[in-house]
Amino acid sequence: MDILISDNWLREFLITKATPKQIEKYISLCGPSIEKVEKIGSDFVYHVEITTNRIDTVGIYGFARECAAILPRFGISAKLKKQNTKKPQTVGNKLPFTIINKEKLVYRAMGVVLSDIKNRQTPEWMKKRLEVSGLRSLNALVDVTNYIMLELGQPSHAFDYDKIKNAKFVIRESSKGEKVTSFDGKTYSLPGGDIVFDDGDGEIIDLPGIIGTKNSVVDGNTKRIFFFIDNNDPVRIRNTSMTLGIRTVAAMINEKGVDPMLSEDALLRGIELYKNICKVKVDSKIYDEYLVKPKVTKIDLVDEFINKRLGIAIAKDDITKYLTSLGFGCLWKGNRLSVTVPSFRLNDVKIPEDIVEEVARIYGYHNLPSNLMEGKIPDPLFKSGLPFEWKIKNILKALGGNEMFTLSLVSDKLTDNKSSLELKNPLGSDTKYLRNNLKNSLLEAVQSNKGQYDNIFLYELSNVYIPKKDELPEEKLTLGMVFDGYRYTSVKGIIETFLSKELKIEFEIEMESNYKIFNINAGKAILGYFEIMDDGKIVIELYVPELLSLEKDYISFDPISKHPPQIEDLTITQKAGFLYKDIVAKILKSDKRVNRIEYVGKYKDNITLKIYYLDENKTLEDGEIEEIRKKILKSL
Amino acid sequence: MREDIIGIKNEAISRILDADSTDTLEELRINYLGRNGKVNSLLTVLKNLLPDEKKEIGILINETKNTIENTIENKLSDLKETKARQPFDYSIPGKKKNLGTIHLISKTIEEITNIFERIGFTRMRYPEVEWDYFAFGSLNFPQKHPARDEWETFFIDEKPNPKYGAMLLTPHTSSGQVREMWRVKTPPVRMVNIAKCYRRQSDISHYPMFHQFEGLVIDEGINITHLKGTLDYFAKSFYGPDVKTRIRPYHFQFTEPSFEVDFSCTVCKGAGCKLCKAGWLEVGGSGMVHPNVLKEGGIDPQKYTGYAFGWGVERVLMMKPNLNIPDLRQLYSTDLRYLRQF
Repeated sequence: MDILISDNWLREFLITKATPKQIEKYISLCGPSIEKVEKIGSDFVYHVEITTNRIDTVGIYGFARECAAILPRFGISAKLKKQNTKKPQTVGNKLPFTIINKEKLVYRAMGVVLSDIKNRQTPEWMKKRLEVSGLRSLNALVDVTNYIMLELGQPSHAFDYDKIKNAKFVIRESSKGEKVTSFDGKTYSLPGGDIVFDDGDGEIIDLPGIIGTKNSVVDGNTKRIFFFIDNNDPVRIRNTSMTLGIRTVAAMINEKGVDPMLSEDALLRGIELYKNICKVKVDSKIYDEYLVKPKVTKIDLVDEFINKRLGIAIAKDDITKYLTSLGFGCLWKGNRLSVTVPSFRLNDVKIPEDIVEEVARIYGYHNLPSNLMEGKIPDPLFKSGLPFEWKIKNILKALGGNEMFTLSLVSDKLTDNKSSLELKNPLGSDTKYLRNNLKNSLLEAVQSNKGQYDNIFLYELSNVYIPKKDELPEEKLTLGMVFDGYRYTSVKGIIETFLSKELKIEFEIEMESNYKIFNINAGKAILGYFEIMDDGKIVIELYVPELLSLEKDYISFDPISKHPPQIEDLTITQKAGFLYKDIVAKILKSDKRVNRIEYVGKYKDNITLKIYYLDENKTLEDGEIEEIRKKILKSL
Repeated sequence: MREDIIGIKNEAISRILDADSTDTLEELRINYLGRNGKVNSLLTVLKNLLPDEKKEIGILINETKNTIENTIENKLSDLKETKARQPFDYSIPGKKKNLGTIHLISKTIEEITNIFERIGFTRMRYPEVEWDYFAFGSLNFPQKHPARDEWETFFIDEKPNPKYGAMLLTPHTSSGQVREMWRVKTPPVRMVNIAKCYRRQSDISHYPMFHQFEGLVIDEGINITHLKGTLDYFAKSFYGPDVKTRIRPYHFQFTEPSFEVDFSCTVCKGAGCKLCKAGWLEVGGSGMVHPNVLKEGGIDPQKYTGYAFGWGVERVLMMKPNLNIPDLRQLYSTDLRYLRQF
């Protein structure tokens, strides 16, 4: 959560000579991260990122406490000025109020009635501070609640006492579909299970911890207020706030779990401000329903536990100093340390490792040395298939392919929705499914380049996801290639070079259907397929695990014959129903001395082949060649 | 006969014009005009012709001879002139080979892998589609943690596993931590898990799908100084020896203590500029492995300690100086005009 902290306000609680620049630099190293410091008029504003576990630093006071612990480590003296608000003396008419909290949905609820409002005008100094902190000033009744939230990190609310007809809050869970209208006039339909305040007659008069409602909020006619603070179940606050999209500062603080001890400080501080600014009279006792109290936590550890994790030894006195400056209690017995966790850190500090963190960060991570690990190296013989992917990419680069990455999440146009996993909460309908193929994404990618190029060759190496019953899907690593503007023979040449020449995998191509889809097989293994689209694009999908299991780094060496081969071109008329591969198979079979056949070209039905004749024991003579040639022609 | 003569003439002219040196021209002269050249050999057939033909063909042969001589002369002076003007224009563009490309993300993954393998890490890849247990449950996330809700993580519309919970798209490579502990069983563990991750966001620095690399080291006596040493080693290997690193307090469920990692800005070299915060760039998270996570991995937290970090591949890539990719989503473009630049 990003907050703004006024330097001027901060120094009300922090006595130090540190400059804003120093505070920015040093606090970032050891505490909350200060993204930048900005000069506004005569004040400076810190942009601070508060992590979810450190909501105790969201208020000026909590932030000052961090500064007071950290700055002395950089040689700058700093002291925290303790809050010292007294309980109000005057309690007037003793106006009644009842809080019914049967299910303990609210951990702590405090309230007081304040009447006789003499001033509603917010003083300039307060206006300025609110504005510097990013909040708009409305009127003093509302501004005081925001002011103490910023100062102490405790959200609060001012109800119009006279609008709460039974002077009663019945705290209950909402039912699905109940309606509330926020103070700014927006109506929401509740998801159900939200914490709401009911007036006892069934009407919701507050969405506590998140936003005030129109029917109970203070307005220009308000005579008396019920100034109220509640400490709630953070999980319910987040659910309601996120579902309804009401992201008030109060909701963002409350969903992180505020220290219930803070309620009292905030209430007293609020009363003080109301008395000073609005000149109110305290008109009731202080109501305090404190039902769920956190347990006091003590953490026991030895100093070695800290030192082992830091990699250096820290003196016991220094450990004590760092921890006490943050509000922890320390009790040593020999090397054993018992740490008492302050109430405002109970959500965060639970185990000895948390104490390590507190000591280490105040000592300063930047003061620790940097070392590489010693010790054993994990199983150096572990073999992984991952380097194979790099090999594939290098070959395809050499063959002219351009690699791309496309989103695994697609619409039902690009994947078959019956055999694809579906997202429960997609960002949109075009990214609703996990694709079970690369083909359609590849074709779409080519389409996106339409008109830019005469020919295009793209490839991608990605998982496709094949659902399995009651199990995680199979993540099938697939190599997809797509060609546009390429002749069939060029594409086939690329497949041949890739598979046979580079990966040394012998494969066959078999027609799967109607001169469109062809399987690429290696023995019994299906390596993948290619498809010739109606518009001439060609798509290939190859399955990487199969390639990996069959690829070889080298093949057996073939010695060069001592005798030169005799070479001649033969033109053969192709009979209907005979494919090139059938002719070649027949020729090779006709005589052992046919050593090699190369394709030269084709004109109508005539195929020209270059035939290599070779006998390993001698140089073949013309007569012998003629004899072989006759055998060839006969075989066809 | 006429055709033969014209044929020889045309052949000679085209070869002379193609000649690129005086030596070649001299060869051609001998070939055509020499004593045993092609033109002279034409004269030997003259004697078999009728007188009328003889005259006509004779004139044609003479013409041919003159034309070839002139052409050679002209070409010769041309060549000399050219030589004087510009002997060899080395600035002519070369004929480029049509190589393809390997995507920047792949190159970065390879570079990261090599850097970590040099210090004994094993590269792994764990599932993208995961059970809640591995992505959150085993990583010390409380049941109701915000990251677990539907605003940040993609969930799959499938039955949850009775033991491991909901099926989801892993939002971080940390989901490989407990799987790696289960695989190795007894430390040492030194893993770098590089995989696709998914989060419900899309803007200038986020795409719903991205890559992370996760380092996980577990052994006896692993401490914060080892994490710092590793960060330093990686940063200097990846960006150069001048880069500095630092860790700052942060919060993650599965590490304790947790750190935010910064590298000094590669553009302004730490002086402070528009791209960085006072000379530093945030790289990602890290921390000492939480004892609860070690326990889930079947490793005794009394005996072993460890550290982990998980950063975006795209993030460290985009921090390379002068790369100038303004929008992370551009890396997922299918536009060949981008892809060819990789």
